[in-house]
Amino acid sequence: MTSNTETIPGFTITKSLGVATGSTVRAKHIGKDILAGLKNIVGGELTAYTELLMEARTEALGRMMMDAAQRGANAVVNIRFATSSVAGGAAELFAYGTAVVVTAEG
Amino acid sequence: MFEGSGVGGLIVLSLIALLIVFALFFPLAFFYSMLFGGFHQSRMFKKLLIREKRVSETLGGDNIHTLSTPINLQKISQTGLVMANISVGPSWWQLFLGGIKSIFGGQIQSFDKILAYGRNEVMQRLREQALGEGWNEVINVRVETSMVMNKVKGKQQNKMGTLEFVAYGTGIR
Repeated sequence: MTSNTETIPGFTITKSLGVATGSTVRAKHIGKDILAGLKNIVGGELTAYTELLMEARTEALGRMMMDAAQRGANAVVNIRFATSSVAGGAAELFAYGTAVVVTAEG
Repeated sequence: MFEGSGVGGLIVLSLIALLIVFALFFPLAFFYSMLFGGFHQSRMFKKLLIREKRVSETLGGDNIHTLSTPINLQKISQTGLVMANISVGPSWWQLFLGGIKSIFGGQIQSFDKILAYGRNEVMQRLREQALGEGWNEVINVRVETSMVMNKVKGKQQNKMGTLEFVAYGTGIR
């Protein structure tokens, strides 16, 4: 289970297993970049970038979940995302949260 | 000798043609942006409004909120992260207007429009995502904005490039 709240409503955290992290660096494809540049003439959504970033974010989240699973957690709480532009044209997507063991309340 | 000059002439001619195409492309694209950019963006806004209305009618309210505890108390069996994103950029005409306006300062209306669109669209996508995945409610929703894919070199970094909006929250059921 994943959550971006500090506690999961209806569940009790019994054990904390530290910070689980996952990250990925993605760069844009030159062809898509040119197409996005053309799309930018009239403004609006740039679908190529939207898809690229969502894909990258999902992968970062997946890596975080794997890290949590290796620690023996069954949930990750308080998940945060960070995006940073490293070297022109590449973006780093970083996801982190607290790996915990939860049990259902009463 | 004549054949050689013929090939050379052809190369020079094609180079000149390429130059003319490039010289024509940018002003033409700029005029296209000026004439149709506003029209294109108004159409996007209208589509978004229709979708927002449809979802609020089916739900009879809103299924996302920023509180960290659920409003409608219920027995929770599962939680999961729900995400939605969009990347938007202003049109060339809006960039031009914004550039002029930023000399004098004050409100930059041309950027306002595209930012408002991006933020509303990403929240609408989150609602639709939650409905599609079968979550009853999405709690603790956060919306983040970041500049992505902008060039770091030179003066380019002062320009407004592509913006990414991401909305995420905890889905409960």
